[in-house]
Amino acid sequence: MSALTEAPTAFKPADYKTDLKPVWCPGCGDFGVLACLHRAMAELQLEPWNTVVISGIGCSSRLPGYVDTYGFNGIHGRALPLATGVKVARPELNVIAVGGDGDGFAIGGNHFMHAARRNLDVCYLVMDNEIYGLTKGQAAPTTPTQDKTKTTPWGNPEPSVDPCELAISVGATWVARGFSGDPKALAALMVQAIQHRGFAFLNIISPCVTWRGDDQFKILKPKVRTVPADHDHTDRAAALTYTRETEVLTTGVLYEIAQPSLLDRLRTVEEIALKGRPRPTVKDVISTFYPAF
Amino acid sequence: MVGAGGDGVVTMGDMLAQAGAREGLNVIKTEAYGPQIRGGESSCVVRLSADPVNAQGDRVDILVVFSWADFARFRGEVLPAPDALVLYEESDPTPREATGVVVGEEAVWVPLPFNRLAKATSAGKNIVTLGILSELFALPAAALRSAIQHKLGKKKTGVLEANLNGFAAGAELAGTLDPALAGRRLSYEKGEPKLLMSGNEACAVGALHAGCRFFAGYPITPSTEVLQFLADWMPKVGGRVIQTEDELSAIGAVVGASYAGVKSATSTSGPGLSLMSETLGLASMAEIPAVVINVQRGGPSTGLPTKSEQSDLWQALWGTHGDAPRVVIAPTDVEDCFHATVDAFNISEEYQLPVLVLSDQSIGQRRETIIASALEHEVIERRLPADLAGTPYARFAETPDGVSPMAVPGMVGGEYQTNGLEHDEQGRPASSHLTHERMSEKRYRKLRPIRDRYHRVRRYGPERARLGIVCWGSSKGPVKEAVLRANEHGESVAAFVPLMMYPFPKHQLQAFLKSVDEVLIVELSYSAQFAKYLRTFMDLPQEKTSIYKRSGGKNLTVEEIEGQILASTSAERVAGDLAEAISAAPLGAAIEGRV
Repeated sequence: MSALTEAPTAFKPADYKTDLKPVWCPGCGDFGVLACLHRAMAELQLEPWNTVVISGIGCSSRLPGYVDTYGFNGIHGRALPLATGVKVARPELNVIAVGGDGDGFAIGGNHFMHAARRNLDVCYLVMDNEIYGLTKGQAAPTTPTQDKTKTTPWGNPEPSVDPCELAISVGATWVARGFSGDPKALAALMVQAIQHRGFAFLNIISPCVTWRGDDQFKILKPKVRTVPADHDHTDRAAALTYTRETEVLTTGVLYEIAQPSLLDRLRTVEEIALKGRPRPTVKDVISTFYPAF
Repeated sequence: MVGAGGDGVVTMGDMLAQAGAREGLNVIKTEAYGPQIRGGESSCVVRLSADPVNAQGDRVDILVVFSWADFARFRGEVLPAPDALVLYEESDPTPREATGVVVGEEAVWVPLPFNRLAKATSAGKNIVTLGILSELFALPAAALRSAIQHKLGKKKTGVLEANLNGFAAGAELAGTLDPALAGRRLSYEKGEPKLLMSGNEACAVGALHAGCRFFAGYPITPSTEVLQFLADWMPKVGGRVIQTEDELSAIGAVVGASYAGVKSATSTSGPGLSLMSETLGLASMAEIPAVVINVQRGGPSTGLPTKSEQSDLWQALWGTHGDAPRVVIAPTDVEDCFHATVDAFNISEEYQLPVLVLSDQSIGQRRETIIASALEHEVIERRLPADLAGTPYARFAETPDGVSPMAVPGMVGGEYQTNGLEHDEQGRPASSHLTHERMSEKRYRKLRPIRDRYHRVRRYGPERARLGIVCWGSSKGPVKEAVLRANEHGESVAAFVPLMMYPFPKHQLQAFLKSVDEVLIVELSYSAQFAKYLRTFMDLPQEKTSIYKRSGGKNLTVEEIEGQILASTSAERVAGDLAEAISAAPLGAAIEGRV
C-alpha cells in the first residue's frame, strides 16, 4: 500500500498481505486465521491507512507484521491497553487487537476483564492454542487439566479457563467462538466482530501442531458444530451452556447484546461537562486558579 | 493551624491563602492529615509574604492550636519558632503540659476562647479565628470577608450572617488584647491578584497547554490530583481521560494514543512507575512519545505515601530493561511543574522518546502563588513525514539527529509495522547484532541535541564562592533560601540546581565546580542517589566534596542547610561513620559523610 497516492476502488484479500514470511510452523492454525482476516478486511473494504492491528507477544502476536495496514506488535499482555489508547484517542480508526491465550488470559487477564467491562470499541481476536508456543511448550491458562507440557511434566494440576465464559461474565457485548479449520465460517465471524459496536471477543481455536500434537486438526474437526439457529444470543444463561465443552466444539456467535460503547459514554461525558457551553481555552482553565472571590 | 476534624483548619488555611493571593502577596500553603480517611486531626501551614518565598518555611511565627492533643501528632512537622506567638484554646481539656509538647522559651502565650466565641455567635471556630488573626496581624480583612461570603453564601439563611458576625466578634476580641502583640503586623502594598496552584495542578495545566488531549492514569498518592484535575477539564477542552485498571494499562494506553498521533500523558508515584517501566522500554524502542509525571513519595514499597522523598531518581533514570534512552526533568517548585511538563511534551514529541517529569509530594501538593504571565511556554509539534507519495515509507529512516519523521494512522502511504522487537529502518523485525548496534546508536544520538538545547539549570549566589551546593528538585527551596540568607551575612556560598536530570547539563556543572573551592551535595535520599549518579559521569574529588543527605518524610529545612554552610567553615569537619550518624541523629538532624 505504501506507494499508493489515491485510494483504489476495491481491496482484494491479497492487498492486505505484506511481503514478510510468517515465522509460524508448517501446519499452524494461525495461517488460517491470517487468511480469514485478509478476507474479512477485503469484505469490509477496510482502508489500510485507517486500520490498526495491535498485538502483544506470542506466536500469534506476530500477525500484525503480516497485514499491510498500520500494525503494532507490542509487549506481552498489553495489546488491549495499547488498543484502548489508539481507539479512544482516534475513534475514527478501525482497531483490531489480536494475540494468543497466554497473552490475553494470563499476563493480560486484567486488561481483558476491563476492556470487556468498559465495552471498549475494539474487536479482539484470540488465537487459542492451549499452550505457550513461542517459548516452546509450557502450560497456558487454557491448557486442559492433566495435560502434560514442559512445565507440567506430571500433568497439569490446574483447572483451565474457558475464554468465552470469562468474556460473557465480565461484560463483553459480543462473544463468539471460531475454528481455524473452518475458514469460511471464521471469516464471517470476523466480519461481524469488526462491525460490532463495543467490545467484540472472538476466541479462535487455532491448534498448535508442534506442542499440542500434529493430530490436533484431526481430533477437533469431528467435534465442531455450529450454534443452533434458534439460540437466543441475548440470553446470557443460554450462551453459557456452550462453554466448558469437552465432547463438542460449538462455534458461532454465543452472545450479543446492544449496550452503549465506551466511546458512546465518553461522548456523553463531554456533553455533560460542557453543558452546551463553548469549549474553554487553556487560558480560561488557568484563570480558574484566581481566588474565587 | 492545628485542630481536629470538623474544626475547619484546612478551610481556614484556604481562605487565608486565597485572601493573600487576591492581595497579590506571595503565598505557600501546605496541609497534613492524620491517617484517617475522613475526619481526624489536620494541620495547615500558610506562609504569607510581600517578598518572594522559596520554601514552605521551617518554623511558624504564629501558631493556632485548637487542641494540644491533636497538635502533639504533628509535633515533628509543625515547628513553632522559639519566639512564636501561640494562640490556643483556653478550655482545652488536654492542656499542653499533659501532652509533653515543648515550645520555645521565648514563646508568647495567648489563651483564647475560640470555642465560647464560636458558640456565642453560631459561627465556625475557624471563622472566629480568622477574625482574630486579621485584626492582630493586619491581614486583608475585606478579602477574608469575601472569602467567607463565597464559601458560605449558598448555605441556608442565617449561616453567612452568623459567620460574618463571628468574624467581627473575633476581630473585636483581638482589639482588646495586649497591643504589644500587634508588633508582628504584616505590612505590604496591595498588588495584582495571583494564581494559587499546586504543583500537581501546574503539571495538569502544563499538559493542557502543551496540547495533551489523552490522559490515562491510576490513582496513587501523592499524584492523584493530576488525574482528578484532568478528569474534570479534559472533556471540556476536547480531550479524553481514562482511569485504567492499573499502571500497566495506563502507560499502555498512553503509548497507544501517542502512536495514534495524539499527545498523551499519565501520572503516578514510585510504585506505579515501577509497573510502567516495561512499557517505557517499549516507548524507547519503538520511538513513541510518552510523558510520565512521577510525583515521588517515601519508599520503597508503600513507604510513606503522603510524605516527600527524592528516592525515585535512579528508577526514573534507569528503571527499565535494555539500553533505553529517555529524558528526565525535575521541577523545583510549583511554577516549574508547568514548564517542566510543557518541556516534557516538546522533547517527547520532537525526539520520539519517553520523558519523565520527576516531581515530589512537597511541590506536588503544596499550593503556591504564581503570576499568570509566567505560564507562557512555546509548544513544539511532532515531525511528520512531509510526503508519503512515491518511495516506500521507512518509519525508522536514518537522519542526522536520529529523529525519523513519524507517520500516524490515517496517513495514506504511511502504513508501517512497529514493534518492541529490534527492527530495521522499515520497522521489520531484525535480530542481527549489527542492526542492533546501529539502531541503538540512532536512538541514543537523539540525546545530544536535547542536552544542547535543554540545559536548564538554576544558579544562586556569587560568581565565585568558597562553598558550592549542588541539589535538585524540591531541595532547591530551602537551599536557595539558605544561600541567599548566607550571602546577606557575607558567607561565600553558591548553589547549582539542574532541572534537566537526563541528559545532564554536565558542562554547566563542570563550570560551576570550577567556580567553587568545596562542594556540598544535598538531597533527600538515604542512599544518596543523586551524589552517586553525579559520580557516574563526573569526577568529584573526595577531598573537596561532601554530602548532606537523609531519608524523606520531612522536607529539608533552611536551618539544616544553614547548619551545613556553617559547618563547612570549620576545619575540624570530620567525615562521620554514616550508620552511626544516622542511628544517633534525631529526625531532621544532620547526617553527613564524604562521597
